[in-house]
Amino acid sequence: MMTYIVSILSIVFVVSFAGFSSKPSPIYGGLVLIVSGGVGCGIVLSFGGSFLGLMVFLIYLGGMLVVFGYTTAMATEQYPEVWLSNKAVLGAFIVGLLSELLSVCYILKDDEAEVVFKFNGMGDWVIYDTGDSGIFSEEAMGIAALYSYGTWLVIVTGWSLLIGVLVIMEVTRGN
Amino acid sequence: MNPAILITIMSTVVLGTMIVLFSSHWFMIWVGFEMNMLAIIPILMKKYNPRAMEASTKYFLTQATASMLLMLSIIINLLCSGHWTVSTIPNPVASTMITIALTMKLGLSPFHFWVPEVTQGISLSSGMILLTWQKIAPLSILYQISPSVNSNLLLMMAITSMLVGGWGGLNQTQLRKILAYSSITHMGWMAAIMVYNPTLAILNLTIYIMMTLGTFMLFMHSSSTTTLSLSYTWNKFPLMAPLILMLMLSLGGLPPLSGFIPKWMIIQELTKNDMIIMPTLMAITALLNLYFYTRLTYTTALTMFPATNNMKMKWQFKTTKKTTLLAPLIVTSTMLLPLTPMLAALD
Repeated sequence: MMTYIVSILSIVFVVSFAGFSSKPSPIYGGLVLIVSGGVGCGIVLSFGGSFLGLMVFLIYLGGMLVVFGYTTAMATEQYPEVWLSNKAVLGAFIVGLLSELLSVCYILKDDEAEVVFKFNGMGDWVIYDTGDSGIFSEEAMGIAALYSYGTWLVIVTGWSLLIGVLVIMEVTRGN
Repeated sequence: MNPAILITIMSTVVLGTMIVLFSSHWFMIWVGFEMNMLAIIPILMKKYNPRAMEASTKYFLTQATASMLLMLSIIINLLCSGHWTVSTIPNPVASTMITIALTMKLGLSPFHFWVPEVTQGISLSSGMILLTWQKIAPLSILYQISPSVNSNLLLMMAITSMLVGGWGGLNQTQLRKILAYSSITHMGWMAAIMVYNPTLAILNLTIYIMMTLGTFMLFMHSSSTTTLSLSYTWNKFPLMAPLILMLMLSLGGLPPLSGFIPKWMIIQELTKNDMIIMPTLMAITALLNLYFYTRLTYTTALTMFPATNNMKMKWQFKTTKKTTLLAPLIVTSTMLLPLTPMLAALD
């Protein structure tokens, strides 16, 4: 099973993306978002990025989505829309699943697919060893670089997050 | 709004545009656009009525879609060229998509539908920032990628924007909508010349910003948002009436005012590039714009609308509103024509 773990996680990932893209009520969207975020972390972990995967799990799922879940629970309606209660949502979900299935069959048949660029099977996306960080984990090197070469990026993202909070508080103040 | 928050948010609007202007990495440009959009939302929502909230939502939705398109085309460019530097874009798909994303941000036709509705729903000062400062960042990116932009696409958008801006503004009495359609038309003129001589697009932007700032400031001074309230200007602020006349005729592109400079240089550059029908069409559609500008001039400075009798006995108070930079703006919006040779050589 471990050889196919990335494949299984990717399938669950895509299906849950179709699940919340078909726009059920936010409670159920948040539930599926947690599932998709969790398996996304699993995929990142399978490729060796342990720190980043755990960061996403802790901060994104365990912090931001929990707050989102609480606020949505406060603002939810009496009978929220679920995938089986509304034909539009069910239809959108089935259309999403079918299109994913069709693209998978298309790729499996020809072993290549061209939308904007040529995707020649998994050979294109194998991570080769480039650069001179041979014995260090590239992921840890990248995070370290964020705080040495990427100081400007940290400043900009930090300021954007602060402005995001200020803007949201200003917009919802409402008097 | 709390003054500290207002200063922070305004400086973030400026910072976002600065990041777009000064970055050479496509990702930072996208970040600059997002920061700019996020920070201008509370400025658009200064008044908490449903109209302003609807306008802010429309603005947010269109700009977010354009940013998503921009990010997708940046990734396609990365796949095809292998680097993140802002330079000419070799892949036609990425180039077309970046052009579409930037023209969505600018409000060029056929993505112009948000401009009149958003401008109408917000206050005059927010509209001023929306129609002038927010145009700088997308035009600077168009300037940087102009060698690889598909000229057919951009010229098509330009001529349809001029038609939409001209015909759309004809039936309007609300001043903010008139200025929105004026903005669509001027963006069309800038897009038309971007392929051939991008310097003139920047010149057009500069002169357009000065004229629009002056117009908005005059409207804010008398708090007039309709043609009817503008027609009381002769009574409230008699000096403003000829100033509105000068600015409107300058916006319409009449010589000897400075609004003529960009139109003249653009038509000259287009004819140098062997295009005859296009500049003729552009000059003719500029007449549509000129019609509603002169209609505003007519109601403000040239006729007296029917008014109540006691208007003639209005006590003229000294105005307490600050008219920051209004005088230099009006001077630069009307009297720059003798400087044209210097302006056309700026790069």
